[in-house]
Amino acid sequence: MIDNKKINAGKLSGINNILIKSVNIIDPVEEKEYRSDILIENGIIKTVGTDLKTGSSVDFEEFSEGSRIKFANDLILFDASGYHASPGFFDMHVHLREPGDEDEEDLESGTSAALRGGITSVACMPNTNPPLDRDFLIKDIKNRALMYGFNVYPVAAATKGLEGIEMTEMGILKDSGAAAFSDDGKCIQNAKLMYEIMKYSKIFEMPLILHEEEYSFSSSGMVHDGYYSAVLGLDGIPSLAEEIIVARDIMLAEKTGAQIHITHVSSKGSVELIKKAKEEGVNITCDVTPHHLYFDDSCLKDYNTNFKVNPPLRSSKDRQAIIESVKAGVIDAIASDHAPHLETEKNIPFSEAANGVIGMETLFKAAYTLLCKKGSLSAVKLIKLLTKSPSKILNINTGKISPDSMADFVILDLERESVIRKQDFFSRSSNSAFIGEKLAGETVLTVCNGKIGFINNNVNLEKETGKF
Amino acid sequence: MLGVKNIIDIDDLSSEDIKLIMENADSFAEVLERDLKKVPTLRGKTLVNLFFEPSTRTRTSFEIAAKRLSADMINFSASTSSLKKGETIIDTVNTIQSMVVDLLIIRHSDSGVLNFISRNINTPVINAGDGKHQHPTQALLDLYTIKKSFKSFKDLKVALVGDIANSRVARSNARLFKRMGMNVSLVSAPMMLPEDMSYFGADIFYCIDDVIKEVDILYMLRMQFERQQRKYYPSIKEYNRFLSLNTDRFGMMKKGSIVMHPGPVNRGIEISETVMNLETEMPARIKINNQVNNGVAVRMALIYLILISRQENI
Repeated sequence: MIDNKKINAGKLSGINNILIKSVNIIDPVEEKEYRSDILIENGIIKTVGTDLKTGSSVDFEEFSEGSRIKFANDLILFDASGYHASPGFFDMHVHLREPGDEDEEDLESGTSAALRGGITSVACMPNTNPPLDRDFLIKDIKNRALMYGFNVYPVAAATKGLEGIEMTEMGILKDSGAAAFSDDGKCIQNAKLMYEIMKYSKIFEMPLILHEEEYSFSSSGMVHDGYYSAVLGLDGIPSLAEEIIVARDIMLAEKTGAQIHITHVSSKGSVELIKKAKEEGVNITCDVTPHHLYFDDSCLKDYNTNFKVNPPLRSSKDRQAIIESVKAGVIDAIASDHAPHLETEKNIPFSEAANGVIGMETLFKAAYTLLCKKGSLSAVKLIKLLTKSPSKILNINTGKISPDSMADFVILDLERESVIRKQDFFSRSSNSAFIGEKLAGETVLTVCNGKIGFINNNVNLEKETGKF
Repeated sequence: MLGVKNIIDIDDLSSEDIKLIMENADSFAEVLERDLKKVPTLRGKTLVNLFFEPSTRTRTSFEIAAKRLSADMINFSASTSSLKKGETIIDTVNTIQSMVVDLLIIRHSDSGVLNFISRNINTPVINAGDGKHQHPTQALLDLYTIKKSFKSFKDLKVALVGDIANSRVARSNARLFKRMGMNVSLVSAPMMLPEDMSYFGADIFYCIDDVIKEVDILYMLRMQFERQQRKYYPSIKEYNRFLSLNTDRFGMMKKGSIVMHPGPVNRGIEISETVMNLETEMPARIKINNQVNNGVAVRMALIYLILISRQENI
């Protein structure tokens, strides 16, 4: 099934002249939405405007009933009326598992999963094996991602071997292409070391992505410390485990002026601390995952390990507070924390199971279904949290849908709903928290770096290779 | 007939199920008083005791219960080290299931393992204790013991004393006792209580003296040193000061009240040596051995009811 879809994209991927007709373009920078055509030539957006022509003789009226796509040897015509176009999503927190755990995911499977989710750029975390703590490792990831025509921004380790003892060669790592520093998956416990890391990263103007967890509070815990941990007899991780370190790092950032980004924020107390710090001018941003927005700890009732994540799914109160913080603009980005794990690490007793869920293929859908379709957030605001806002945090200029820029966008069917099924994932792993959920906002087409990276099989393709 | 196929969580049983179990336990208790303590009821049935955590008392209790019913009982002690060799728990369980057994009795040190196993196999399972989660057969035999000592469950005052957070017995018992209309209190210390106590729906006290004169049932929990990641209670001396049952405190208990403990007792910690030695003299008040005795009858009832439900379904 996966191969079939890949062939489909592959057949089209050589073509980089595309005319997209009457799509609703979402511009997250200007925060507006407008209907337009997009003409792409040689992978570059040539024109954005109404009533564009390819110069060929074929009119769109000639499309047979229900068919949206026609393609010839070097040209695709796509009737996208009713669909929305957004700049390609930027997922600023993923685990691509290279090097070391290629059985769970690799650059090839990871990038195809990303493209299926409408993601054209990712920041990948350094907790690999070995960890991304040296320049050649960063260069290797960057170079190999280019082979797949995908934008991978590796995040380098903040401490050697992610051991939280000595800081890495931050200057050299920056020069080799690191986008930020993080010990993600772990948290630097030593406050003095963290202080030094902040002072040093500041001189390179590099952001620190922080996984916040105080180990004495979290050590034996597996789930949120609350009602369900008491019911299930599983040791709890209190919200305090996160909040104590958030408070510490805010103090350190205030003192040093470093740019910090709190990733996968999970508790009400944390977002309150971050809100206050922002008001006081601290250089701080934060992201949340779709699973922390969508689920709370009541999901753990059956000990389903696809809800075992770190930080843990917290109480419904925490979840509500996080949703409100997204709406209020306290949360700057939504990121998947895509964490592939094999069956042998997940289909086992809860206490032995690994933490983490995959999330790139459901990133937009889950957020859109919850925040826009069932909630009151506008699609434009959501898309900003998936594009402009995260790329700004990492000082990266990502694509926008405007003339003379590289074609890098996603076309979405916001209406189409589907039930997430375990067998459908492009990722090498299938440990998704969303299996069985009905989500809206299907990716129709993803164009990444001027090339078609994904096309949804459910879109009616009229395979006609004749003249246009 | 029971409304459930598996017995994992005490809350899975309906009030009718509980009533049925108590009634059947009565019949089997009568069998156990005979000279010939055996009935042919489950001849040809095969049960497996699958214990991933060391246990003598519960395992033996199930084994005797099965044998009294004429079922074949096989003990499978899976050391966790053999599981580490690459065989997953599901492989182990499937291997045993392939040998066509009728019922699995499982104990494991991880909470929720029975929920996980029961999703993956067809054979019915009885939870003989999973981590800090549940120990439903203990709760049922305790209820049966209480039933034999009092006229009615309603408004009985019961205090569970000790390490609540790490106790599967506390979870199963507090829920069952409350459901039966008893008034449940917990006597413990903050280090031994879960952060959110609403599941237990109980009043909380920090010293046994606060409840000792009022209670009908004083239920002492075993201090689970083996489940503590670190020593979080200051000392035995401190425990004795606030949470232990000693002769003075036993003397303060009201007439007709009883003392229970799931065993094995840490003598000198939960219950003083002197009080322990009173049991032979005062079997109506100190019920610890009586609980063990009732355990066989209640487990016979459970095994019987689960297996006949299966038969009737076929």
